[in-house]
Amino acid sequence: MLASLKRLPGASWLIHPVTLVYLVVIAIWITAGIMKPGFARIGHLRYLLELAAVIGIAAAGQTLVIIAAGIDLSVAAVITFAAILTPIVSVGWDPTGLLGILFVLAITTAIGAVNGVGVVLLRVHPLIITLATATILQGSLLLIAGGSAVSTTNPAVVWLGNERLWGFPVTILTWLVVAAATLVVLHRTVLGGWLYAIGTNPRASRLAGVNAPLTLITVYAISGASAGLAGLLLLGMNRQGYVGIGEPYLLGTIAAVVVGGTSILGGRGSYLGTIAGAILLVTLTALITVVNASPGLRMILFGGLVLAMLLIAGRVQETR
Amino acid sequence: MTGAALQLRLLWQRNAGLYGLYLLLIALLAVYAWLHPGLLSVAGVARFTQNWFPIAVVALAQTLIMLMGGIDLAIGATVSLGCVLAASWIGDSYGGAALGIALAVGVGAVIGGTVGAIVALLRIPAIVVTLAASFIIGGIALLVMPRPGGHVPAWLSDGLAGETPTALVLLLCLLVAWRILQATPLGQDINAAGNNPHGAFRSGVNVARARIVAYAISGALSAFAGVYVAAQTGSGDPIIGGPFILDSITAAVLGGVGFLGGIGAFRGAIAGSLLLAVMINVMFFLGFPPVAQYIAKGLIIVVAMGLRLLRER
Amino acid sequence: MSAPLLAARGLAKRFFENTVLDGVSIEIRPGRVHALLGENGAGKSTLINLLSGVLRPDAGSIAIDGTEHAALTPALARELGIAVVQQELSLAPNLSVAENIVMGAVPHRGPFTDYTRLAAETGRLCQRLGLDMPLDTPVDRISLGRRQLIEIAKALYRRPRLLILDEPTSSLTGHEVRILFGLLRELQADGVAILYISHRLNEVLELCDWVTVLRDGQRTADQALDGSDPASLVRLMVGREPGDLFPPRPAHNPGETAIAVRGLVAEGISCVDLELRHGEILGIGGLLGQGQEETLRALFGDLQAKAGEIRLAGQVQRHLTPIRAIEAGIVYVPADRKREAVLLPLSIRFNLTLPSLRRLARRGLRRLQDEARTATDAIRDFAIRVADPAQPTLHLSGGNQQKVAIARWLPLGPRILLLDDPTRGVDVETKREIYLRLRQMAADGVAIVLSSSDTLELIHVADRVAVFRGGRVVAHLDRDQLSEEAIVAASLGVEAELAA
Repeated sequence: MLASLKRLPGASWLIHPVTLVYLVVIAIWITAGIMKPGFARIGHLRYLLELAAVIGIAAAGQTLVIIAAGIDLSVAAVITFAAILTPIVSVGWDPTGLLGILFVLAITTAIGAVNGVGVVLLRVHPLIITLATATILQGSLLLIAGGSAVSTTNPAVVWLGNERLWGFPVTILTWLVVAAATLVVLHRTVLGGWLYAIGTNPRASRLAGVNAPLTLITVYAISGASAGLAGLLLLGMNRQGYVGIGEPYLLGTIAAVVVGGTSILGGRGSYLGTIAGAILLVTLTALITVVNASPGLRMILFGGLVLAMLLIAGRVQETR
Repeated sequence: MTGAALQLRLLWQRNAGLYGLYLLLIALLAVYAWLHPGLLSVAGVARFTQNWFPIAVVALAQTLIMLMGGIDLAIGATVSLGCVLAASWIGDSYGGAALGIALAVGVGAVIGGTVGAIVALLRIPAIVVTLAASFIIGGIALLVMPRPGGHVPAWLSDGLAGETPTALVLLLCLLVAWRILQATPLGQDINAAGNNPHGAFRSGVNVARARIVAYAISGALSAFAGVYVAAQTGSGDPIIGGPFILDSITAAVLGGVGFLGGIGAFRGAIAGSLLLAVMINVMFFLGFPPVAQYIAKGLIIVVAMGLRLLRER
Repeated sequence: MSAPLLAARGLAKRFFENTVLDGVSIEIRPGRVHALLGENGAGKSTLINLLSGVLRPDAGSIAIDGTEHAALTPALARELGIAVVQQELSLAPNLSVAENIVMGAVPHRGPFTDYTRLAAETGRLCQRLGLDMPLDTPVDRISLGRRQLIEIAKALYRRPRLLILDEPTSSLTGHEVRILFGLLRELQADGVAILYISHRLNEVLELCDWVTVLRDGQRTADQALDGSDPASLVRLMVGREPGDLFPPRPAHNPGETAIAVRGLVAEGISCVDLELRHGEILGIGGLLGQGQEETLRALFGDLQAKAGEIRLAGQVQRHLTPIRAIEAGIVYVPADRKREAVLLPLSIRFNLTLPSLRRLARRGLRRLQDEARTATDAIRDFAIRVADPAQPTLHLSGGNQQKVAIARWLPLGPRILLLDDPTRGVDVETKREIYLRLRQMAADGVAIVLSSSDTLELIHVADRVAVFRGGRVVAHLDRDQLSEEAIVAASLGVEAELAA
């Protein structure tokens, strides 16, 4: 049936994996809304989107990295790092709190760039180098914060995590800005074009004059920045940072990217899919909470879903 | 050359590239023994090997998968599952304990084999399959035991993780089992499939079968590490396996998988995990705060990779 | 005479629009060393792949021991006693000599490896092949020639009845060749059939009893080797009519020197001197893997030069990289277009604009309309047959993919164009179009290096030809010296015989 549908003019987007994910999200929202009226309330959906924003922003950098056939396993550690470092470096004499934010974003960007330099110079699988960075960050955090939770009063951070602008939570607006920027980078810049080229075939890209070292260092830096921003939002929403706050986001970002139809092997995918993946992820988590599934069952369902998406994505790729 | 001589020389051959690591290990062990003379007693060895044993087992599990060109992110969850299964199934009698351990390890093997089949037959990258599997396996562990609990008979805890160096004996048993596998055509198929999958396929090696077996063994090993952890702590914990993902990869990389590939899986994993364990202990005795471990673990990977690059040049 | 071990009749094989083998028959008999000759691309590899079950023929039949096998697979072929030693080695580098020889067929007793038999059998084989290193030596520590011998030992270990050897001596020393020949004669005496593929005519003449010659996928000879000489064999291998495939060549009056190479040494190149001028096409010929590809890659900065100098318009270039080469107007079309040139899953439009992506953008932002226009221009100029430029390049035929691989450089206005075997596996019509474009570009002052495995192409397209052998240029042939015989002879090193 899919094959015959494909032949219809203009219908190919309908069975595109990304569209499918959005359709699944909408179907779940409608079904859950009918079964549990509280689910489809605007307030609840808005809350879901706020949760999705954190994953979505952290997954922006992850999407770029994975399209370049890399992976960033330091995302969780960077999120935690940002959430703990911000309260410590936010100085009292800066009433806006912006300095602290800029400082932390600069540091996390630098951490990402170090990952990129490691990938380029050491020629190691990015998995190993980013894992090493994550381990080092975890250690530094314990040294800095001593393992206890730190609360923040940084006004800019609190504003980011809690306020509304024209009726919309700033969290979601921030995500919209990040999403727009990511899509522009991916589809409208030379850097984005080079990402797809490198992810598809690094050797052919080099021979076509693609500046792979520069591109890779830049995307890992972007990944550091986006994880740092996600950490700031998370801190603002919780008003305190603690060791382990970023933990769920490592698997979360990778799952959002993969469920959103981006190939883990690189060269194929878009941030549009990741957005849908992030929303699907929090929706399912919320749904499983609503139907009172135990945490164990929730994980099994989630893992099963990712695996099923992989099998479908794999098949689509083969028949192309 | 006679058959036995050839077999021995092949064994010796697999030390290639590991001498530097051995030297470093001996030096570190000497420092450790000097800092902590208590190490040189039966109880001292027993305590040290207990800390080291689970890391060694998961390092071996990870090494096997990395030699096959994959990576296993489900090792932590499998350790957790093995741990809770042990704490639920192990009876108080000797027979019940043996059965419980065998069942837990068997479940690990089946799960590993399934993951391996998905990777080898459906050709989906190991990293995402094992990532998804880590959720499913971790979920099963939580279903079996939503919160820490269960119990492991005291005699078993004492036996496995008490004053006697049982862990060392277990390690030797694993070594023997590994040697037996290596002395079979299947073991050689695994080596060949890991070293040059394309060439092995053209030479008539059943590469898919070799991969699936490797994943099954890896799953069984991880589950067994979980059983041991349950015996150590005396109870089950559904999320205890988390840190083992990092440790297994670090140990495997230190043991040479990342920069040699294809040889000396067992000794590489043992040496890598031992380096990790001794390093942690030495740092502790030198008065470093426990958190410095993390930084050291991360830095040591970067250093190992830098050394590899130097050697290539 | 004994009954044939293998008899193939009317084998045909097409890859897309390309006929690679066209009705080829071959009979292989026990106890005979059978030579298979032909130029690069004549269809030898395809024939081997058909006989060993790697590929399925489009037409024709293969009978082994009188039984026809419609669906021959590699496993079945192995079982029937056919062993192939490919040019591409299939050894596991970290495993030992002994383990590699028995790979996939480990001797065992019960569930365990039988090390006694393993040591005895591999030891005996190594001795016969003159391999004196210990059996436990890892394969990556021994020379390429010895690895080739181990690959042969691996085939012999399975006790084949038909042994197919594809260029087995390409990296052997003279001494090793002698040992191999002695062994092959022993096998011949034992009744093993041997199919021997080689470019080295002297070896063929010495060793073989029978010869089959392929040319453009057709059999041009099938005869006893008695009384043949190298010149007659070369004529059987070449000798085509150029037809109107090639565009007319204007008089050769080149402009300024574009590149001057002096004493270039790099991996795979021992010492290369070359000069290339604007407005000319310099052909590069020789057998496969004699340093041609490495020379092009070194000129493009993809391979670091260890010694010697490359001058671009008189300027010595140091630390050339692909990016710097492109900035200096040098572009490169690699031979392996699927792995090194075209990004198959990405769109045709993207492929056509990838090299010029940055030049077409303003401050890093892409201008999609300009890109689309550039791609459309390239498609029109190069007559690339596409339904939709947004389609993955995967959907294009080999010839059109090759056009994309060349056309994508044009928006950059290159001054020097390096092409490595651009017409390999490309249909005749596309070949003609590519030649035409190259001529036009040369007329516009572009300096072109055309490395090719097709001697005919070199003669009719290039203004002059440099022939490579063993990592150096062994002959510079000017226009009036160009002939197939001259190129083939220079690449084989048999000038003396031909001149006589």
